[in-house]
Amino acid sequence: MTATRVSTYLAPRRRLRLAGLLTAPVLWLGLVYVVALAALLITAFWTVDAFTGQVRVEWTTENIVEVLTEALYRTVTLRTLGIAALVTVLDIIVAVPVAFFMAKIARPRMRHLLVIAMLAPLWASYLVKVYAWRALLSGNGLIEWAVAPFGGETPGYGIVGVVLTLSYLWLPYVVMPIYAGFDRVPDRLLEASADLGGRGWRTLTAVVLPMIRPAIIAGSIFAFSLSLGDYITTTIVGGSTQMLGTLVYDNVGSANNLPLAAAISLIPIGIILVYLAAVRRTGALRSL
Amino acid sequence: MEPAIRLRGLHKRFGDTVAVADLDLDIAAGEFFSMLGPSGSGKTTVLRVIAGFEQPTAGTVELFGKDVTALAPFARPVNTVFQDYALFPHLSVIANVEYGLRVAGVGRRERRAQAEEALASVRLAGLEDRRPHELSGGQRQRVALARAVVLRPQALLLDEPLGALDLKLREQMQVELKELQRSLGITFIFVTHDQDEALTLSDRVAVFDAGRVVQLGTPREVYDHPRNPFIASFVGSSTLLEPAIAEAFGLPAVATAVRPERVTLDAPAGGVRGTIAEVIYTGPEHRIVVDLEGLGTRITALEPNMGAAHERRRGDAVTVAIDPAGAAALESEAPAA
Repeated sequence: MTATRVSTYLAPRRRLRLAGLLTAPVLWLGLVYVVALAALLITAFWTVDAFTGQVRVEWTTENIVEVLTEALYRTVTLRTLGIAALVTVLDIIVAVPVAFFMAKIARPRMRHLLVIAMLAPLWASYLVKVYAWRALLSGNGLIEWAVAPFGGETPGYGIVGVVLTLSYLWLPYVVMPIYAGFDRVPDRLLEASADLGGRGWRTLTAVVLPMIRPAIIAGSIFAFSLSLGDYITTTIVGGSTQMLGTLVYDNVGSANNLPLAAAISLIPIGIILVYLAAVRRTGALRSL
Repeated sequence: MEPAIRLRGLHKRFGDTVAVADLDLDIAAGEFFSMLGPSGSGKTTVLRVIAGFEQPTAGTVELFGKDVTALAPFARPVNTVFQDYALFPHLSVIANVEYGLRVAGVGRRERRAQAEEALASVRLAGLEDRRPHELSGGQRQRVALARAVVLRPQALLLDEPLGALDLKLREQMQVELKELQRSLGITFIFVTHDQDEALTLSDRVAVFDAGRVVQLGTPREVYDHPRNPFIASFVGSSTLLEPAIAEAFGLPAVATAVRPERVTLDAPAGGVRGTIAEVIYTGPEHRIVVDLEGLGTRITALEPNMGAAHERRRGDAVTVAIDPAGAAALESEAPAA
């Protein structure tokens, strides 16, 4: 009875319904998200009392200037960019055939199994997966055991290990949008291309890839931005490798310089904003 | 003359389902050939086997004297117009039409000219730069046609191409298809479940039922002389008469199909007596259902609409006669399964 009365009251009041629907998410986005980011931005313009180690509200551009001019930050930024780009490319190279198989070749039963196989690792703890890779990469780990007979050796802990581990971690985030993209390409179009004389390669490059390009870019946003901010993987399998994330972590922790950490973390934020602006026009944001 | 398309012993199974059973078929060059049947009768599968999208379980496909059974679709000299058109959504109209020419390596200027000519032949000039989603159903249909004929295929395969169009547009496209076929002079193989379309357009019709061709002939042969009860009721409408009833009308005592327009009411020579059970007004004509006296069955007659003054009424007594030339003797048993 009451439910009916509420419905009757709300039915003609469009604005009220909208307000009821949006208040909570707008508060969440506004307070928790935007305010937190703004606070970060502001912190970057503060400083730390060298004597007490306390953050002092004293406006300065010192941190920003340091981040922009110190060679260390330029090197680490370039390295982080390189690692993120490499991880993204590797993931796309692996994800496209896998997603194609899932969407176009596998029978429904197999397809469901593969979707589950892709998503299952997301339930496992991030730390467990990274430590698993630490074990794989170690001097007497699985990789060493597999390649030693051929005269190879494990890449060990370093940039290669970081790239491999990050590629593994973000692969599901790249496969799923591309799988959805392939799924949206009707089989009829592949047949039409073949009917008009197109062989497999032509069909792939002239029909399929242009149609799934937004999906590939959507996947790349995940792999790229997640790699850009990562610090745990680098710490565990990166050896002495420094990325922007580890610099932030060190400055918050051992160096106890929150304003500098905030200034450093503005770098990946700036990069990802540029990246999003660049891909905005491809329609990729609509396939996320 | 060598047939354009020759199918021998064609058999196609999907799992346990037999889609096409031991089909032999010859289609002549330049023929407008229809494959007519209800959904699931195997007609589309045959088309897809000819195009190369499906491999037959057994049997061979010959195109113009060459065995193409093992060839991929891109290596066959035929093109397809798909039921849902299958236009490339990311390409403009002109790029869709140019696609096959581009694959074939035709130069930019030459392919542009040919594509424009093809678009003009389906009366679509001026829409070159639109995207498929900006076109109406009828326009998409024309793009699909242009994209297929621009490659000058030796045969054009059409999979229910008019199915998605509304009635008026469909009738107009029927005329245009026929004209296009005449001007190109190539073989059209046309799959449809619409008997009207098949009869109107075709030189010959193959009626499919459960994976087999149950009748093959000109539209007149199929319509006037349906071989079995399925064809008599699927192609047009018929009253099916038991042997004893046929005999009562002075016809040979076999199962017989009678078209309603070949049934005469109140013929001067008399006939079987009956009572009108139903009068259905359809506009150009009246469909009249008559209860036949003492025979325990009904027959349907078609009379032109001659105005309200001539309209018959339920309960009127009539005599019913059948033009013997308009009665088709049916093969009593179902075709061998």
